[in-house]
Amino acid sequence: MTTQLQHWLARRVSGAPVLLFLLVSAAITPIGHAAENALALGVFPRYNATETTTMYTPLADHLSEKLGRKVALVTSKDFDTFWSGVQEQRYDIVHYNQYHFIRSAKTYRIVAHAEEFGKGAVPGAIYVRKDSGITDVSQLKGQTIVFGGGKDAMLSYIAPRFLMMRAGLKDGDFKAEFAVNPPNALLALYHKRAAAAGGGDILMDLPVVKNAINTQELRILAKTEPLLFLPFAVKRSMPAKLREQIQSILTGLEESETGKPVLQAARTTGIDKADDQDYIPHRKMIEAVFGATGIPQ
Amino acid sequence: MRMGLSAKFTITVLVILAATMAANTFYFVRTSTRIQEQELTERGRVLGRLISLISPQAILAFDYLLLNDYTREVSSQPDVMYGVIVAPDGTPISSYINGANNQIGGRLRAGGAAALATTLETLGDEAQLVKLEFPILHNDVLLGRFLVGISREGLQEEFRQQLSKQMLLFGAVVLFLAAAIYVVFRFNVLRPIKKLIAASREVGRGNYPVVDVKAVDELGLLARAFNTMAEKVKNEQAKLHRQANFDALTGLPNRMMAFERLNLEISRAKRSGQRFAVMFIDLDNFKDVNDTLGHAAGDELLVAAGARIQGCLREADSAARLGGDEFLVVIPDMVEDANVERIAERLLQAVSEPQLLCGRKVAVKCSIGIAIYPENGNTVETLMANVDNAMYQAKASQSGSALFFTNEMNVRLRERMQMEQDLNVAAELGQFALHFQPIFNIGTRTPRGAEVLLRWRHPERGLISPADFIPVAESSGQIITIGDWVLEQACRCWSAWRKDGIDPGFMAINISGVQLRKRFSTRVSQLMTTYGIPPHALELEITERVLLDDHDHVAEELRQLRALGVKLSLDDFGTGYSALGYLKRFRFDVLKIDKSFVSGLPFNADDVSVVKAIVAMARGLDLKVVAEGIENQEQLHFLRRHKCDLGQGYLLAKPMDEETYGRYLVKAQGGETMRFGVTGLKAPFLNVV
Repeated sequence: MTTQLQHWLARRVSGAPVLLFLLVSAAITPIGHAAENALALGVFPRYNATETTTMYTPLADHLSEKLGRKVALVTSKDFDTFWSGVQEQRYDIVHYNQYHFIRSAKTYRIVAHAEEFGKGAVPGAIYVRKDSGITDVSQLKGQTIVFGGGKDAMLSYIAPRFLMMRAGLKDGDFKAEFAVNPPNALLALYHKRAAAAGGGDILMDLPVVKNAINTQELRILAKTEPLLFLPFAVKRSMPAKLREQIQSILTGLEESETGKPVLQAARTTGIDKADDQDYIPHRKMIEAVFGATGIPQ
Repeated sequence: MRMGLSAKFTITVLVILAATMAANTFYFVRTSTRIQEQELTERGRVLGRLISLISPQAILAFDYLLLNDYTREVSSQPDVMYGVIVAPDGTPISSYINGANNQIGGRLRAGGAAALATTLETLGDEAQLVKLEFPILHNDVLLGRFLVGISREGLQEEFRQQLSKQMLLFGAVVLFLAAAIYVVFRFNVLRPIKKLIAASREVGRGNYPVVDVKAVDELGLLARAFNTMAEKVKNEQAKLHRQANFDALTGLPNRMMAFERLNLEISRAKRSGQRFAVMFIDLDNFKDVNDTLGHAAGDELLVAAGARIQGCLREADSAARLGGDEFLVVIPDMVEDANVERIAERLLQAVSEPQLLCGRKVAVKCSIGIAIYPENGNTVETLMANVDNAMYQAKASQSGSALFFTNEMNVRLRERMQMEQDLNVAAELGQFALHFQPIFNIGTRTPRGAEVLLRWRHPERGLISPADFIPVAESSGQIITIGDWVLEQACRCWSAWRKDGIDPGFMAINISGVQLRKRFSTRVSQLMTTYGIPPHALELEITERVLLDDHDHVAEELRQLRALGVKLSLDDFGTGYSALGYLKRFRFDVLKIDKSFVSGLPFNADDVSVVKAIVAMARGLDLKVVAEGIENQEQLHFLRRHKCDLGQGYLLAKPMDEETYGRYLVKAQGGETMRFGVTGLKAPFLNVV
């Protein structure tokens, strides 16, 4: 398109001053277009790409509309792909978990956090069966513990591990198993595949869990303080005005008629304002579990 | 309730079709059930293999939600009742129960997850469930088992619907086929059969319709056969009708037809109020013709007589042969008796016309009884009885005569019947008595024996002549009993006299031809033995008429009697046929000259000639001659002069009862004992009747 425009201008404008102006313009315009045109919204692969697209396209569209510029949803086929996108800062806006933020805090900053099930902060917890006879975390020594997701799962792994460490259980004192997601960890516990399960304390209230098992047979053994939920972050390099504009759009969704369907699509009950300071408890737990420099890459 | 052929056929077709339908349905059910089972099992296998293939990853990753998705997806399949993934130890780790309203689903849900494993085991007996189990393996390590239960209910319901549709379709087909077969059967089978039935009924009524035949099938053949049969039946019926109603010999109507016509004539006469006459014609001495000229001649005579009778009648009159030598003539519209008399005279004359039989000119008379409707009866039975009576009377009175029936004839008939009844008990009641009329040697005038005579003293009618009751006894057969009684009593008397020292000479006993038919010689031999009668003391008298009956049998009996040594006497010689052949053939010992010839002696030239001829002939044949009815000296002298051997009559001695005759014998034999045959003995004249 730039080449066509240059031809058009060449035929209409003549003379050296004009030519110089055109050359300067041609040199500046692509840069301005790149900054103005597209913002990349990266969403971590909590769900598969299809579902992620379904859930977050309305948000991307809404942001596009409100910002007056294109916001493109970028999905990832797997976590590694996503994480490489974070490391390479391909996403202007990113929605990921608390641990991800802690790992990318040098390049991204928090602007908001998601609410699920009406809660913006959820404690991490350790679940056991009521009939297991386990009343203290220390009793988990030598037992199999199933965690939801992987070691990067804030509520399902890091927080329960934090509780276990606090109870004196170190690596090797138990056998860790990982379910594909937190509800499945609870289901594994229910089905006696493990002595305990780690996850947010909202797990038993999730319909997917309540519909699958009889949660009355389970109970929470221990839990952490409430931890803010999944954060929305932007590149630290993003202009403040745009950052604030984005923060405003995200936190205003719950209040606007056009925003509610967006939240509903994203299976989120709301998005609240947050900043890096709100995630210091998370950082402490992560450092406690993995060590200050032992955050797994 | 009678079931028609069409109903039977239709029911049979329906039963066959229903049975076929049932068999088809049975096969359909079996096949469908098997296919169902295979289909359900195959579906279960497909699902099971798929789940067991994709589940290891989820199990290893503790992805129970995914396992739930699997089981949910499996259970959402049609007819899948549950999908359960259990751990190797049998603990369910993912389950989904389908069918909220299903009984099995209800049971599975009722116990919850804890009881699910137990409930699944108890489902093993559920007939409505196909249970399958598939191991979930990863690197040959058992991670769990996938249990799937597929309900047969859905397929069975579908099967029931298909079955219902098929049954409806089949039922419709059956009804249509049955209706079609019935219609075809009705028009092609039933209608011809009904035609045949109707035709058969017509045949039963005596009509012989021809059944219209168009078909070329078995029914057509049946109809043709029926027509042929009907035609033959018709011909046979006509033949039978002729045989049943017409006399084969004369061609005249027979007794049955005669009575039928008589009945019709009575009905007609009742309606018209007219009189008609019935004539009963019986040929006189027809038996003689048969016996002497043979049955062929007799038949020829009957044919001729029938033709002559028919020839004397008007067209409106009818003649019939009743049987034997009996004919019946019906003369309708008879106004005056004189007309009937004239017809009867014509018949008498026509029948008695001589005719050639076997080359001999023979004249046979007939006797005619005449009865008039309604005076002499208004029923067939009465008319026939009366006209028969009249004929009998005519024949009895005079050969070749005709007599109108009178009520007096019935009186005589009743008397005759009464006499028969009285005869039955006469012997038992002691009403019979033997009388003995001495027979003398005419030359010496000495008694040589006696003719035994039977007397019947009736308690009401007094003494009845043998001439009156013997014919009755002969015709009724009672003569056998009576004759036997006479024979035995005579033997008893002879034996008793002998025991008293009296010589009773011989006893001449009259024998009826009827007696000879019943092994008479055996009985005679028995009595002779019983009473010690010597053969020469017994002389049996028979008339020429007896010899006419059954020659061979009579000849044999007479031969037997002769073999016993008994003498045989031919009674009433000269009054009948006087066939000399009899004398030679039957070898008589004695001839008895009838008193009718003796009564004219010695002045009636004819009687003189006859007696002289008989005596001469007897002497030539070496026979003794006994003259009956000697009543005066002239007769006695004549007979003595012409060498007649023996004689009997009132001049010599009247018949005496047993006691009197006994005394007579004593006296005749000179006091204590006397030998018979003493010359010059004068017999006492006893009036014993």
